[in-house]
Amino acid sequence: MFRYIVRRLLQMVLTFFGATFLLYALVFANQKDPIQALVGERPVTESQRIALTQRYHLDEGFFMQYWYYMKGLLTGDFGTSLTGRKIVDMMADAWPVTLRLALIAIVIAATFSVTVGVYSALKRGGLFDNVSLVITLVLLAMPIVVIAPLFQLIFGIQLGWFPPTATRDATVWQLLLPAIVLACIVIAPEMRVTRTSVVENLRADYVRTARAKGLTRMRVIWVHVLRNSLIPVVTLIGVDLGGLMAGAIVTEHVFNIPGVGFNLARAIRTEDGPLVVGFVSILVILFLFINLLVDLLYAALDPRIRYE
Amino acid sequence: MSDLNTVTAAEAPGGQPNVPHGPVKKDKPRSLAGDAWADLRKRKIFWIAVVLVAVVLVMAAWPTLFTSADPGACALANQYKGATGGALFGFDYQGCDIYAKVIYGARNSITVGVLATLLAGVIGLIFGLSAGYFGGLVDAILSRFIDIMLGVPFLLAGIVLSNRLSSDPKSNGIFAVTLTLGLLSWTTGARVMRSAVISAKNQDYVAAARMLGSPPARLIFRHILPNSIASFIVLLTLLLGINIASEATLSFLGVGLKNGAISWGIMIADGTQFARTEPWPLVWPAIFLGATVLAFIMLGDAVRDAFDPKLR
Amino acid sequence: MPGKSPWKMAVGATAIALLAAGCGSGGSDDSSSASNTVVIGIGEPQHLIPTNSTESNGSEVLASLFYPLVDFDAQNNPVPVAAESITADATSTVWTVKLKSGFTFSNGEPVTSDNYINAWNYGAYGPNGQGASYFFERIKGFADLQSKDPDGEEGPQKAPEPKAKTLEGLKKVDDTTFTITLSAPFAGWESVMGYSAFYPLPKAAWKSDGVLADGFEDAIIGNGPFKLKGKWEHDAQIVVEKVADFKGTVPKIDGITWKIYQDQQAEYADLVAGNVDVQTTIPIESLAKASADLGDRFKKSPNSTFQFVGFPTFQKEFSDVRVRQAISMAINRQEITDQIFLGSQSPATSFVSPVVAGYRENTCGDNCVYNPTKAKELYTAANGPKEMKITYNVDGNHKAWVDATCNQIKASLGINCVGGEEPKFADLLSKVEKKQPVGLIRLGWVMDYPLMENYLGPLYSTGGSSNYYGYSNPTFDNLVKEGSVAKTPQEAIAKWQAAEDILAKEMPVIPLRNGQNVFGYSTKVNNVNVDLFQKVDLYKIEVVG
Repeated sequence: MFRYIVRRLLQMVLTFFGATFLLYALVFANQKDPIQALVGERPVTESQRIALTQRYHLDEGFFMQYWYYMKGLLTGDFGTSLTGRKIVDMMADAWPVTLRLALIAIVIAATFSVTVGVYSALKRGGLFDNVSLVITLVLLAMPIVVIAPLFQLIFGIQLGWFPPTATRDATVWQLLLPAIVLACIVIAPEMRVTRTSVVENLRADYVRTARAKGLTRMRVIWVHVLRNSLIPVVTLIGVDLGGLMAGAIVTEHVFNIPGVGFNLARAIRTEDGPLVVGFVSILVILFLFINLLVDLLYAALDPRIRYE
Repeated sequence: MSDLNTVTAAEAPGGQPNVPHGPVKKDKPRSLAGDAWADLRKRKIFWIAVVLVAVVLVMAAWPTLFTSADPGACALANQYKGATGGALFGFDYQGCDIYAKVIYGARNSITVGVLATLLAGVIGLIFGLSAGYFGGLVDAILSRFIDIMLGVPFLLAGIVLSNRLSSDPKSNGIFAVTLTLGLLSWTTGARVMRSAVISAKNQDYVAAARMLGSPPARLIFRHILPNSIASFIVLLTLLLGINIASEATLSFLGVGLKNGAISWGIMIADGTQFARTEPWPLVWPAIFLGATVLAFIMLGDAVRDAFDPKLR
Repeated sequence: MPGKSPWKMAVGATAIALLAAGCGSGGSDDSSSASNTVVIGIGEPQHLIPTNSTESNGSEVLASLFYPLVDFDAQNNPVPVAAESITADATSTVWTVKLKSGFTFSNGEPVTSDNYINAWNYGAYGPNGQGASYFFERIKGFADLQSKDPDGEEGPQKAPEPKAKTLEGLKKVDDTTFTITLSAPFAGWESVMGYSAFYPLPKAAWKSDGVLADGFEDAIIGNGPFKLKGKWEHDAQIVVEKVADFKGTVPKIDGITWKIYQDQQAEYADLVAGNVDVQTTIPIESLAKASADLGDRFKKSPNSTFQFVGFPTFQKEFSDVRVRQAISMAINRQEITDQIFLGSQSPATSFVSPVVAGYRENTCGDNCVYNPTKAKELYTAANGPKEMKITYNVDGNHKAWVDATCNQIKASLGINCVGGEEPKFADLLSKVEKKQPVGLIRLGWVMDYPLMENYLGPLYSTGGSSNYYGYSNPTFDNLVKEGSVAKTPQEAIAKWQAAEDILAKEMPVIPLRNGQNVFGYSTKVNNVNVDLFQKVDLYKIEVVG
């Protein structure tokens, strides 16, 4: 187990460099005129163009630009955004609020979808199962660009149950509505996969054995079935972080949260290479850790799975 | 179909010959597909789903069967007018006939949704199966690649890919959007497939089959795949809905369908903008999208159940 | 059970993370509602160095931190504010600025001529890459502060250092007097100096000569009625408080929180919920409900926005003037402003905004009057293209009116018209530069200073900074230049109007709409006015009760 973890950590280093390279290439491919993108619709003066081009090495080739970036990164310097701000400062501002938002959303989504998924599997074909299917459909038919403003309108303005916007130092209470919105995008798949997985396992031999042993129904379901059904669900929750980050771009925009999603959207819009790569590299590291955790969980959930 | 893949019941996937197979027919050795078909035929849900999918497909192929109106003929004078004559659902913000637009929007939405999901399914299946089955170095490389893909923001990759893929200024962007969505949406499926394969490959019957000298291909396709594909299929049916809706996100960013193409996704995104003033332009396409996804979910569930001997 | 421990660890880790998430949120609400301060919504400013600020968010904040040389009266004529007097010589070439004495920066430094001269030199110096440097173009010696890249932008060579570091045209007379020499006469110069690029910077701003101190932008010090409280909290807020003993006009409020929004809809939600006191631009999605939500706190006032579409000259199918006229006549502007913009914009029938002196109504004449019959006749006669496109940037909320305009063109001319989506304005421009078939291009203009010239010069002159469609007419260019060097404003306007008449004949663009400020405010404030530059009048606004 220990050796496995060490090996995975070593892989992470390689992956990290692979990721920055791929990302830089993507941003570079997307870069047409970052200086014009930066100023929006205003005309750019010749001298401003020359000055910014030289300051950010925009006239040099991909490999040179990437080299400048990596040189900085290896000395722990994430560089400067095209807006002139230090990227480290921007990340320090943005990450905490987004992490909190994502965590709350994951907890909401996991709790809701596992509970509802298990129940609808138990009552397969019944009323509860059908209601949960309808919820799934509504969530699927309403992409996040629809849900976010609608929830803000209904619960934030019309009913006034939640604050309509949040800020950088938002309380859990302020983040609750955006977190629910964020959770909505991953609830549908998580719920359906839980249901399928539980339905499968309910028919497994060990369930019959456990029941035959005289265990209570509750214990069989919540301990034996659930544990064996969780592998795909846990995988999904792990990768859903990606969905959450994509959703965060819209959610943070609608609820005015100056977090990662907002910064990423802005960086992509202004073709701000170092800013995109800085934020996404951290995101990739986060993924590597979460997926390591998920893989370790497989072994925990199913003792037959071994890593060495 | 019964002439294909003829295997005896004892060799059925799952390797659990003792599990009862429902009403056993006489004599004739039956195939998995034959079994499944016999089972499917009896399900009401399956037929409802088939009818719904058929209607949507016909709508996509021959919109003129459903409406004679031109979805592009819009006049502000008709803004938010109620239902009249052929315009069953009334008019939207631009004074367009919502019914005609929903009918004509089906083609683009279905094309994008189905093809992108198929592409994602194939890629995800290959990645997930290989990573899960081979493990070791193959798993390390594929999994880390998936990690990187998961980290790349949809926004960035979507913009870059669709920009690169759509060079023709006159095209409506369907090809580019389909490819983009397909190439970006396979990762979740791959991870779920991988986890299911890892879990299935450690089952006793796989070990047994291996010891009996089953070649890898047979091991994968006969034993591991059928026992690990359930969650994957469920995910794919949901992905279909997600992809239809994601097309709207790309269009919203200016890299989606172009040159006046109509789709449910675009209608939903446009409708949201003014939902507070007038909700119907949002509700109608959402209902159609929901019903389509429902049909595919039911179909997916029914087919999967039919193919899974454990559920009989 | 070897498998158990990681499971437990994971649960523990999640619990700890959740606790951290819960505790880490220090709910602070320091801008208490009882005080005499207001919250005004803005977008994140791009920059707060005056010479680098070219958009309305930055200039709104700067307007609270700085006191301008000139401001504009109700007729948009310049009046000295921080200046005692601004006088020109007979040819309008040499301008003398005399400052009011006794003014200080909020850090106590007295405001002197040097503060202006140093700030402007910094702004004009090419390698500093300041966004508003073009404001100093007219000052003598500007060219010496720029450098040309010898082998173009893509080439490997670096641009050499410019010849000079200071503008030849700026001369200090004494501590409160300095002169500005222009490279050519310009009667409207006083109006130009009303822009935020002409604010002074204190000595504290400089690390050394011509080099800004690190971090000055985030803690900027001005000569205005308010000073920064703390620092610029990027993407969150900028808090300013009253300067004690301010020598100029004293505002009625004690402080402002400039609350930063990424999205106007979110800002509107906060306005309705009472979390923000003033929103200067209510988005069109919310306009339908604004009267119901805000009652008489929903207001409109004129601004300088001018919306139009241009015909790229490289698109030969539009080279016949009849085609351009026909398309213009095919558009029902009133219907669009009524039904898409709900009256928040008004139909444009001239080539400059109504807010500048010299504006005449309907210079476009019949060409801008909706007449589908005549449009179709003209179009058929000229054999116009059967398909056309209006290219726009999707990030600017243009889809609704572009679609509506296309639908009108389709109906009037019987041709096909589609909206061409580009992710952002820069993408649109790069397609235009590559001469790709973009069709009509969507454009808009907000003035820098209230003169007709600020529309005619950048938009329609040969090589004008925003003349992306490439219109060029030497007679027009001469008339604009003659107007700029004219001795009196009246003479200037006459020349400029003659120039505008040429545009009406040639229709290089189709004027569509003039913008308005549609703003709203909470019950907490009163006397809210939004000016031509989309800025709240900070000297009039007051807190109720």
